[in-house]
Amino acid sequence: MVKRMVMKPLTWIERILFIDFIRGLSVTIRHAFSKTITTHYPYEKLTPPKRFRGFFGHKVVDGNEPQPAFDEWVERFNIQVEYGRSRCVVCLLCKKACPVPQLFEIEGRKLENGKRVVSVFNMNLMLCTFCGFCVDACPVDCLFQSDIHETASYTRRDSILDLETLEKIGRDWQMRREHEPDRIWIDDDQREKLWYENSVRLPEPKVKGRHEW
Amino acid sequence: MESVWVDLLVAVIKILVILGIALGLGAYLTWVERKVAAHIQRRPGPMVVGWHGLLQPIADGLKLITKEDLFPRYGNRFLYNLALVMALVPATLVFAVIPFGPEFEVFGYRVKPILTDVNVGILLVFGLGSLAVYAIALAGWASNSKYPLIGSMRKAGIIISYEVAITFAVMGPLILAGTLSTYQIVQNQIEQNLWYIWVQPVAFVVYMFSLLAETGRVPFDIQEAEAELVTGFTVEYGGMKFGLFPLVEWYIEVLTLSAIAVVLFLGGWSPLNIPFVGFVDPLFFLGPLSPYAWFLLKVTALFLFILWLHWTLPRYRIDQITEIAWKIMLPLALLNIVITSLIAPFIWD
Repeated sequence: MVKRMVMKPLTWIERILFIDFIRGLSVTIRHAFSKTITTHYPYEKLTPPKRFRGFFGHKVVDGNEPQPAFDEWVERFNIQVEYGRSRCVVCLLCKKACPVPQLFEIEGRKLENGKRVVSVFNMNLMLCTFCGFCVDACPVDCLFQSDIHETASYTRRDSILDLETLEKIGRDWQMRREHEPDRIWIDDDQREKLWYENSVRLPEPKVKGRHEW
Repeated sequence: MESVWVDLLVAVIKILVILGIALGLGAYLTWVERKVAAHIQRRPGPMVVGWHGLLQPIADGLKLITKEDLFPRYGNRFLYNLALVMALVPATLVFAVIPFGPEFEVFGYRVKPILTDVNVGILLVFGLGSLAVYAIALAGWASNSKYPLIGSMRKAGIIISYEVAITFAVMGPLILAGTLSTYQIVQNQIEQNLWYIWVQPVAFVVYMFSLLAETGRVPFDIQEAEAELVTGFTVEYGGMKFGLFPLVEWYIEVLTLSAIAVVLFLGGWSPLNIPFVGFVDPLFFLGPLSPYAWFLLKVTALFLFILWLHWTLPRYRIDQITEIAWKIMLPLALLNIVITSLIAPFIWD
């Protein structure tokens, strides 16, 4: 069923007096004299929403791991859990989920006591599309995407994230934004002026220190 | 003998002042346009270079001048460069017949603030306006590329259509004034106590449409049409040569045609006119500078109105543009001439 739309033709009065022009002009003049809505980028920066898909990071072990998933994976792969280091259990699910798997370079290492630990975790972001499949695949909430979006670099080497960098980003994230309620836009004055939905307060989620799985 | 030298000196001073105003202002109007466009789209526009981006035109100019000068393969270098001259010279020449104010006396010499008070001033304006089509046709042809060629063809079609309409539109004020001299037209409006826009609204509308079409402003910017033709006939030009075409088309031509519109319809340097009442001058406190202020104010208002239109309206299709010119604007202008000739004797009194 196709709904037929009929456009009302302009009347003669409207044609002669340019009513449609005047309507358009009144809209633009109102906008011209209202406040601008932009941010002056290099001098002012918006904080991206929490779900922003920016640079990757590894969350570190801090007691807030998703349970019982984390303990199960640790037991299965016999992982050495160290406080303040990456939660990675070297399951390679991220590599499996990736549309460009060669951008991951993941290796594990066997320690003296027979346990295992991640030793190499390189992500070549030159190949990455920031689709976030790897983040969805991660079973222990280790790999995640942060709000870092200024990703330009002078060399190709700088666009490869190694384990150190990933952990640094992860620690930084957990310090800054881990406990922030999950909403599309954070409480930002400028955004609030733009979209009236932002004046509707979402109920604060109860942070128990564990994600629900 | 002495008076010849004085005349020459006065002419040179006038030329320098007018060229300075035309080219300097033309460059700064890019800043004005960017600001107006930005605020209509609720952006602040250029903000970084200087206070609110006031030095932006200088930065742009430096950048354009220092850029590499590219030339398209198999193009015609002579015509390619000739097009620039053909664009710039006629557009700036129009300033020669624009009267900025009334006659005044300096050291016993009577000076008119108009470069040459030719007795066929308006004819000169439209003759030079028609020359613009050569610049664009040459630019499109010499570039040896398809987008410039299509753009220049479109522009040539538009200019030829609207030259006819604009010439018939200015007939109305010319009949009422009874002269072709721009200075005399303003004088006659002051003597008749009437801005011609009050009796020639139709001619004014036709004139405004033709102005937009000739200068390639929206809604008639079909020769440029970023979405279809990249930037039309300027595609193959680089650096300052590229910068010159919009400068001429969008700023100098708009400025000159606005000034001519002010002369023809809005009474040049005369103060505010109310029909049946006469002239009211709210700027009387400026004394002898008041006419210049009025002229500047009117041209600025018209220019800003054109910018406002530009950033509001969408673009017409090429066939719609020519249809408007031949089927609506030309008959309207002709009808206007007939009506004007009927009412003219009442105005002449």
